[in-house]
Amino acid sequence: MRRSVAAGLLRERLDPADIVVCGLGSTSRAWREQNAPHLTYYASDPMGMGPALALGLALARPERRVVLLEGDGDLAMNLGVLITIAGAAPANLRVAVFINDRYETGGGQPLPNAGRISYVVIAAGAGWPWTGEAHDEAQAARLFSSLLEVGKLGLLAVHVDPEPSPYPTDPGPTSQAEDRAAFQRRLFGER
Amino acid sequence: MSETQAPGTANADRIVKALVAAGVEIATSLPDSWLSPLIARIEAEPKIRHVRVTREDDGVGICAGASLGGKRAVLVCQNAGLLLSANVLAGYAHHHQLPFLILAVYRGSHEDRFYYQMYKGLVTEPVLAALGIPFHVVEHVGDAAIVGDAVRESSLARRPVVVLFRREALLGDVKATS
Repeated sequence: MRRSVAAGLLRERLDPADIVVCGLGSTSRAWREQNAPHLTYYASDPMGMGPALALGLALARPERRVVLLEGDGDLAMNLGVLITIAGAAPANLRVAVFINDRYETGGGQPLPNAGRISYVVIAAGAGWPWTGEAHDEAQAARLFSSLLEVGKLGLLAVHVDPEPSPYPTDPGPTSQAEDRAAFQRRLFGER
Repeated sequence: MSETQAPGTANADRIVKALVAAGVEIATSLPDSWLSPLIARIEAEPKIRHVRVTREDDGVGICAGASLGGKRAVLVCQNAGLLLSANVLAGYAHHHQLPFLILAVYRGSHEDRFYYQMYKGLVTEPVLAALGIPFHVVEHVGDAAIVGDAVRESSLARRPVVVLFRREALLGDVKATS
């Protein structure tokens, strides 16, 4: 399954009020290409912090569902955060992990022990109350719906194809701090 | 302070009341023995949501996310956690520009009794200065007013601010045994 297909399946199932947090790299690119209307924060660097940032946002905005779109490279950098999140267990946080077993944006180098890691086993062992794993489009379609409807903390591992994901040649017109301010203006304006 | 209270209990109460008064609603923590009274008091505070973390940089990330969502947050940890979190602190200070507070116990200085803590005392302040993270050192018990000032400074500067507590500032002048 291409990552754009997986991102599209998620987009189709989101509620308009959902907030999306994107980890850095190819998952971020897959979500940008959706041009989705959902309030989105691109977490960028520091690498490994997407889940913690999403947890903090979910705790701060318990009235909104927060969906983290995460890459396996970012998550593998900091697996301990799965224990922290399971301990806090906010019912409004969902995590979808795109698994391609590579540091895609960094040049496609393999993750350590690539292909033999089960993030759902690790998450379940850390105490996550709901986990799922999708290997193809049909499974992903069904399990994205389950993830969003489960009503509690959940993690869905979605296997996607390796695809080139080169660094953008243009950094864009705004800084991360300006993007953060724009995100907050929209978030606070919607109170 | 009542004679039946454990060392640091009354001071922990002062610090947590200052956090609440400053509008802090989310706290993350990773323990140090000098921090036990403060973390216990935070856990007991109904106006603060307390999240225990496995690494201090996760606490930084959670505080950044809470700040992104419009809430004031604090990380409570040892100064080793500041050293561990150097990249993350710099990222949220300069790249995202998100404000939050860190209350860190200052291990490794003249009042410490453990050789393995000493290197942290040597490098903590230079590392924070190099990262461009504002910090303040609290020497004596009862100086909780700095907490509210540091929260305000963080909001104004749009970056994390660190308050480093000496042992006496947390536990009073009882002799160090841990």
